[in-house]
Amino acid sequence: MHHDNGIWVSTEDLNKEESFLQAAEKEFSVENMAETDGNWTASRRDFLKLMGFGLGAATLAASCEIPVKKAIPYVTKPDDIVPGVANYFASSFVNGGDYCAVLVKTREGRPIKIEGNTLSSVTSGGTSARAQAQVLSLYDTRRIKNAGTIENAEVKAMSWKDLDSKVKGQLQLGGNIRLITNTLISPTSKKALAEFMEKYPNSKVVTYDPVSSAALLAANQQCFGVRGVPTYKFGEADVVVSFDADFLGTWISPIEYARDYAAKRKIKSMKGATMSRHYQVEGKMTLTGSNADNRIQIKPSELGAAICTLYNEVAAKLGGSAISAPALNDKAKAALKKVASELVANQGKSLVVSGSNNIMEQVIVNKINDLLGNINTTIEFGTINNLRQGDERDMARLIGEMSAGQVQVAIVWGANPAFELPNAQQFRDAFAKVNTRISFAGTMDETTALCTHSAPASHQLESWGDAEPKTGHYSLIQPTIAPLFDTRQAEHSLLEWADSPNLNRQDDQPYYQYLKSHWASDLFGTQSKYSTPTAFWDMSLHDGVFEMPAAATTVSFNSGISLNAAAVTQPGTSEIEIAFHETVNIGNGQYAHNPWLQEMPDPLHRTVWGNYLSIPVEWDGVNEINGWKGLNDGDNVEVEVNGQKLTCTVVRTFGQLPGTVAIALGGGREIGGCGVGFGVNVNPWLPVDGGLTQYFAKEAKVSDKVGADKKFACVQYHHTMGVTAMGKEEGTVINADEKTLGNKGFQGALTDRSIIFQVNLNELPELAEKMSEFHKEAKHLNEQTLYPDRTDFYGTGLKWGMYIDLNSCIGCGACQVACVSENNVPVVGKTEVHRHHEMTWLRIDRYFYGDLENPKVVYQPMMCQHCDNAPCENVCPVNATNHSMEGINQMAYNRCIGTRYCANNCPYKVRRFNWLDYTTADTWPANEEQVFWAEGDEKPFYADNLVRMVLNPDVTVRSRGVIEKCSFCIQRIQEGKLTAKQENRAVLDNDIRTACQTACPTGAIVFGNLNNPDSAVSKARKEMGPLAYKVLEEINTRPGVEYSAKVHNTNEEMFS
Amino acid sequence: MSQAVAPVRHVLIEGNKSYHNITEDLSSPTEKAPSREWIIAFSIAAAFLGLYVFAVCWTIWKGIGSWNLNRTINWGWDITNFVWWIGIGHAGTLISAILLIFRQRWRTGVNRAAEAMTIFAVICAGQFPLIHMGRLWLGFFIFPFPNTRGPLWPNFNSPLLWDVFAISTYFSVSLLFWYTGLVPDLATVRDRASGFRRKMYEIFSFGWTGSAKHWQRWESLSLILAGISTPLVLSVHTIVSFDFATSVIPGWHTTIFPPYFVAGAIFSGFAMVQTLMVITRKVLKLEEYITLNHIDSMNKVIVLTGTIVGVAYLTELFIAWYSGYIYEQFAFYNRVFGIYWWAYFGMMFCNVVSPQLFWSRKIRRSIWWTFFLSIVVNIGMWFERFVIIATTLARDYLPSSWSYYSPTWVEISLFSGTLGLFFFLFLIFTRVAPVVAIAEVKHILKVAGSQFVGKNATTHDGHSTVQVNKEEN
Repeated sequence: MHHDNGIWVSTEDLNKEESFLQAAEKEFSVENMAETDGNWTASRRDFLKLMGFGLGAATLAASCEIPVKKAIPYVTKPDDIVPGVANYFASSFVNGGDYCAVLVKTREGRPIKIEGNTLSSVTSGGTSARAQAQVLSLYDTRRIKNAGTIENAEVKAMSWKDLDSKVKGQLQLGGNIRLITNTLISPTSKKALAEFMEKYPNSKVVTYDPVSSAALLAANQQCFGVRGVPTYKFGEADVVVSFDADFLGTWISPIEYARDYAAKRKIKSMKGATMSRHYQVEGKMTLTGSNADNRIQIKPSELGAAICTLYNEVAAKLGGSAISAPALNDKAKAALKKVASELVANQGKSLVVSGSNNIMEQVIVNKINDLLGNINTTIEFGTINNLRQGDERDMARLIGEMSAGQVQVAIVWGANPAFELPNAQQFRDAFAKVNTRISFAGTMDETTALCTHSAPASHQLESWGDAEPKTGHYSLIQPTIAPLFDTRQAEHSLLEWADSPNLNRQDDQPYYQYLKSHWASDLFGTQSKYSTPTAFWDMSLHDGVFEMPAAATTVSFNSGISLNAAAVTQPGTSEIEIAFHETVNIGNGQYAHNPWLQEMPDPLHRTVWGNYLSIPVEWDGVNEINGWKGLNDGDNVEVEVNGQKLTCTVVRTFGQLPGTVAIALGGGREIGGCGVGFGVNVNPWLPVDGGLTQYFAKEAKVSDKVGADKKFACVQYHHTMGVTAMGKEEGTVINADEKTLGNKGFQGALTDRSIIFQVNLNELPELAEKMSEFHKEAKHLNEQTLYPDRTDFYGTGLKWGMYIDLNSCIGCGACQVACVSENNVPVVGKTEVHRHHEMTWLRIDRYFYGDLENPKVVYQPMMCQHCDNAPCENVCPVNATNHSMEGINQMAYNRCIGTRYCANNCPYKVRRFNWLDYTTADTWPANEEQVFWAEGDEKPFYADNLVRMVLNPDVTVRSRGVIEKCSFCIQRIQEGKLTAKQENRAVLDNDIRTACQTACPTGAIVFGNLNNPDSAVSKARKEMGPLAYKVLEEINTRPGVEYSAKVHNTNEEMFS
Repeated sequence: MSQAVAPVRHVLIEGNKSYHNITEDLSSPTEKAPSREWIIAFSIAAAFLGLYVFAVCWTIWKGIGSWNLNRTINWGWDITNFVWWIGIGHAGTLISAILLIFRQRWRTGVNRAAEAMTIFAVICAGQFPLIHMGRLWLGFFIFPFPNTRGPLWPNFNSPLLWDVFAISTYFSVSLLFWYTGLVPDLATVRDRASGFRRKMYEIFSFGWTGSAKHWQRWESLSLILAGISTPLVLSVHTIVSFDFATSVIPGWHTTIFPPYFVAGAIFSGFAMVQTLMVITRKVLKLEEYITLNHIDSMNKVIVLTGTIVGVAYLTELFIAWYSGYIYEQFAFYNRVFGIYWWAYFGMMFCNVVSPQLFWSRKIRRSIWWTFFLSIVVNIGMWFERFVIIATTLARDYLPSSWSYYSPTWVEISLFSGTLGLFFFLFLIFTRVAPVVAIAEVKHILKVAGSQFVGKNATTHDGHSTVQVNKEEN
């Protein structure tokens, strides 16, 4: 286009040349653009229009928000990380006196799972629920993220440098310095501590344990001159007597004890089977008591009397001098007489332990063991167990010092005295008088909230360290991830404050160098296996543990000790006594902020999220079993102990002695995480006798019902399997369970079904015969089918199966937490568990049977049975659940539409439905207010990316509306098969071990290929012969899981 | 339809009607402004429908967790309601098809409304299998259609899939049958209407002219559809009962379920027809078409099916005892005396005891008794399904998993909401289509011959009146 406006674009334009003008005229004409005459396709304007529209439309469409997936590839791939392939690092789980040698599974640099380390002779690859749950605490959103000062229970950030100079300033003032710790089992930590104390000579370490064993240590000091816990050889004892010691659950080294205990009780062959006999004398039902062959019920305050009685009985037979035992109930007295004769018959092959925290009681127990010749045989002092070192009397002295204003600086390391101590209030008052109070705690707790400075220690999975759980048994801790937050190891802080010359501050990981040099200088020389410090270090780090055979040491009982029956606990006379106990999951509150542990049902009560007052049940002799005082599960009562009232929620418990109640420690945490607001803090109720905390109170007042916990969360409402009691109408012992059938009250069921088989050892052949009959009958029934039999369908190749030895299962729950961890099973919170919406793939059913007043307990891990004739499979309208060629019942989550028919039709009720958006998989948050939110959080638990780091990337996170269930750890099976394939060989047992199997401390779970006659699972099933059974075998579901009968070694004359 | 007529029969339509009277009486409700009662009833129904929509949205938005089902009891009110509604939806087809085949001519008075009820009940029933799904939006997975996922087909072994086919077939056939019957009547309404209404009825009556060929085809189609429907009456609830009967859960796994369910379905269907008819005949003043004889006949069906159901209940108990299998015995002991004992006794009273009152002719022919008992029966039938579903699941194999269940407000709203949906549709139906089949009723007007002899005989005047009216038409 040409315009006469004085603007020109070329000389032709300026000169108004004809050719230019013509060309300009035609510039935007269609003809100009046409390629062929009259056949052109698009003009420039059209092209631009289309392009403009196209771009605009594309931009609009593209600007719709779609989720951004953050996947950042490695720019430089680290040598030891192959994406998709897990790395395992040998390490240790240590928390005060809890120890477990572990392997930490990491994926792409994230620790996601804890496995047991089989190289450790202490834990032998077993784990505990607490160890399994450790990985979740790494990703706790409440972790303290930086150093700082503490105001109103919150950390105000400050740099480490500032903190160091401030702290050093305080330390150098010359006042008294006190470090408050729980048991420390790390030699290198102790070395760092020693350096610190050398620098500040007026400093002192005060150690106590959240649940005390101080009396045991003191008694051993008196009796044997060794202040330590000996090695108890449960695997060598034919008779075990435990006075209130929960050695399978919580007492000192439960993983180790459980392994040995179960090994001694394994039925190896049908003929001439032997097993140890376990007597438990206790005033509440503990996990250990529930596994005992005979449980002798006493009031908690009768423990001393019971110990004295047993002593007298043993002494009478073995020539000891009698003591004047306090009065004991007649039943227990008679029973202990029989126990004594059995002990005497098994001298040197028996074991008496006690969880008592009364020194004289422990001394008498030592004396009993001495008389029985157990010292230096089943009780060995050569290898001292370091897991309990604390003494609360030191804390009492410290409280005195602090109240008197004699302490300048207090450093709290891994302990929470403001919660755990019975005199926590005194501690709090006294602690406030300390000028500078420093906490190493990684999360806020009751004590840290009272501190002035926070020097947050890194999580153990981010730290270097070592441990010596038993003499000569060393164990290393290595970091599996760089610190997530600006935290620093406690030892590093101590060395820093001590201006240690041995701390290489220039190094990336100063404490790593410190640790390494300690091992080179102090430990290398004590061994002869490795010739260079580097080899020693590298191999120890690789193995995670380094063990040196302990020197044989014998001790002898100090003959100068006089047994004084007056110093034992004198039985109380009040109407109701209360006992306190530690649970396997929560401890004394140390683990209360771990949702996996909170949602792990208490093995005995099957309750979650809180501690509940267990009350006795009563049988009316006719057709009703009722709670004491007519109380129901979930009712609230007011309990008064020591003049302090608390409102507790009741759970009815079989085997709770009338006249006693019991409640777990560790509830009612006030600060620091998701455990806040669940349960009640009963620590202030604990009496202190002779400076030692007692785990019972002689007098408790329990009110009538004052309300109810509307969210009472218990995963099992029917608890019994044929409990027996005296029938008033019949005049004989009857099956009370069946008698209460049809009664609207508590329990009542048909029993004796093929769910549990149990027998006493002396009737084993009879049971074998009965079970052979049963198998025959079931087979006959199952053959009555119209449909072609397809058993041979799985006859070739791989056929996965499991075997669970009910005799080895102690109910500890490690497998359950392992399963949650491995399979991304969501935590649903108390309300949802109350609604029976728990998601656990593996549960441990607990049934009481036998005498209603003093029942036995059987634990039955129950997960998908992978039936070859699965009722769930044929009812799914969309084929979302189906059977693999290898005998696995598979779930295709993507295909599931959530009709829940499969769950209805599952006889084992192991299918779990995602009722709500538990994993926050939905893109909108509006439907998430009912899923699990930790107290005070701004978003649901799983919505936090930090928490999501714990998820196993090999396992799909299930969304709302689909069914899920145990997959036999299909991801592990795939991995194992691939490994075998790569190595061009058949799959072996060790290639594939399920999460529950590896977690189990007693080896109760065996998994493998049933088509391989040499696999462990085939062998185990074969060995058990007719004693191996499938649950509900007669309904032709053909499960892939087999159980073995539960065998007890009960002394049947005990109470006759 | 030409058929043999007994020389002496009682009248099926009372009030000495002429053909014109019938047209007038039955078409007029569609032509008048709605009554106050209708408006009130409609508003209530619409409010409940609103509640239903809200509860459905809530369920889909929040998830099935907004219900109180749990890991043991995975079906509760949802499937109870489903089976209940499906059962109710059985009377219509039974009346239309089976009674047609059995030449029960009295059925014409109630078949239209009963069929409509069937369709609406099936619509209500069909809601629950959909909304009970955890992922409704993937519900299309249950249809067998070629797809790129393998192709992946549904599981033809699953009773839930059989349900899909059974119910969709039943619904389509019932709908066709009902609509076929409606065509000549819609044409009648069309002929009387003008303007927009006329246009609409023109469309919906498919250009019906009333020619002999139309009538002939219409009758053929009706017969064919009746033939197809007849087995459906028996098959649908049989298949629904397979949802339970083919499972392994004691208390579900029983072979008696198919006949037991079918009898129960007819039982509840007739009860619901009674409830509706008693109201409809009163409100729309159709007492002369839906007579006491109808009510009497239907009450006879109720007492029969109620007794069959009662026998089924007792047979279940007997067989449980007779089996000698203690676990089966436990399942039924628990059903009767277990935690949901109140539901069982409610069911027994409502379904077995209460209909026995209909042995009395007086009660059978009493409007109030009929109305009251029809509601009692439907409550009883709801209990029956609840007993079967919840009681059984609450106490299945492993005592460790036993549980209890009570609904949330969402589940209650869904149930009352479907009642709203049902009455919403039914009330609209009474306004837009003749509630009694005009054409079919005209067929039976003179079956008794009382128009020609006896005291009701048409007089000469009457005759001429008819003539005049015809001209007016």
